[in-house]
Amino acid sequence: MSCHIIGAGAALPERVVPNAELAALLGVTSDWIESNSGIRERRWVAPEQSTSDLAVVAVRDALSSANVSAEKIDYLIGCTISPDYQVPGIAPLVQHKIAGCRQVPAVDLRVGCVAILYSLQLARALIESGGAGTVACFGAEAQSKGLDLSPGSADLSMLFGDGAGALIISGDTNAKCGRFDLRVEDVLLASDGSFAEDLIVRAPGTANGARWLSSEQLIAGLHYGYMNGRNVILHAVRKLAEAAIEITERNGLGLADIDLVVPHQANGNLLAALSRKLSLSPERVISNVGRFGNTGGASAFIALWQAVQEERLRPGAAVLIVAFGAGFTWGAALCRVTAD
Amino acid sequence: MLPDSIMAFLNEAAEQSRTKVPDRDASLFLSGVLDSFSLVDLVTVIESEFKIRVDDEDLRPETFDTISRIEDFIARAAVAK
Repeated sequence: MSCHIIGAGAALPERVVPNAELAALLGVTSDWIESNSGIRERRWVAPEQSTSDLAVVAVRDALSSANVSAEKIDYLIGCTISPDYQVPGIAPLVQHKIAGCRQVPAVDLRVGCVAILYSLQLARALIESGGAGTVACFGAEAQSKGLDLSPGSADLSMLFGDGAGALIISGDTNAKCGRFDLRVEDVLLASDGSFAEDLIVRAPGTANGARWLSSEQLIAGLHYGYMNGRNVILHAVRKLAEAAIEITERNGLGLADIDLVVPHQANGNLLAALSRKLSLSPERVISNVGRFGNTGGASAFIALWQAVQEERLRPGAAVLIVAFGAGFTWGAALCRVTAD
Repeated sequence: MLPDSIMAFLNEAAEQSRTKVPDRDASLFLSGVLDSFSLVDLVTVIESEFKIRVDDEDLRPETFDTISRIEDFIARAAVAK
């Protein structure tokens, strides 16, 4: 049985945060943010909005896109590193908030920016093993609530926006009742934990001493993210490029055969470096980082939703999704738009 | 001595950053010649020029921070090859 993405949805907060607003807090200029990230603005949630609020809107949108009712969902996969609570996970909260969704399994994956790839690999395994017929998966983040907004933290805090994206994945090849049908042909994933400390949020955590969260840890800022930017960028471009080449070659293709690349929207300059390394022209690469910033685990979901909105998924097109994130973990997925 | 292709890359990066390539033991990052993204391109040029793949252990900014360190890396890579 093959595995098909048949619906895509997204949710973006109303509040637009332009560079000028953030620059004043971070002690840099708007131009500095844009030249170092390609980001002009991002969306942030309102104080009363949670990550699951965004996720629910995205899943509903994806169900509508697929023309599938919530009752059809057999399994929910939810990805976030900015959950509503430490416990329980976000996926059961979304199950509860989606009207009509049955009491199906609902699991969280804490895989950061590579969320879409782990979701696709697990959804594909569930579908091909007969464990589920229809899987709803989403990436959702409200990382703005956890940013260090003081001068000196610009390198990381300028990047992040909030948002959610969702996909409906089905094994029913006759289920094409939505706007598109994207067959998942292969997923490649890898990790190397020796780089864990290059991109990390230490607290709350059990590696921090007697308590997983203490006032001392808060004073030290361990609850804020830390990034060794140069090392992350160096390895991200390397691993993304190698994953793209490996997955295309093992499927008998070359990069010239790829019609559309849907990358995790880490940073505009990183996407440009990756495009140079792989000789990808800009029109073959989906980019929204200028408008939405880096939305973490939601970003590739939102980028794929954007590709659908812009009608970029023409029949027969080969679509390559690539992502890299904390861990490090990285990979690629090769998909094909089924012909009518 | 760095090969001409590597020096040409560094000179061009310096020109784009409106600075000059510093002395062989001065930091290319602190001098403004390299940043996170031009470093990616430098590694690509080195890999292409010497037909090598920089190992993950060597793929660190420190390996390429000065001209002398780049020379050291290239010498090691040549021996390993």
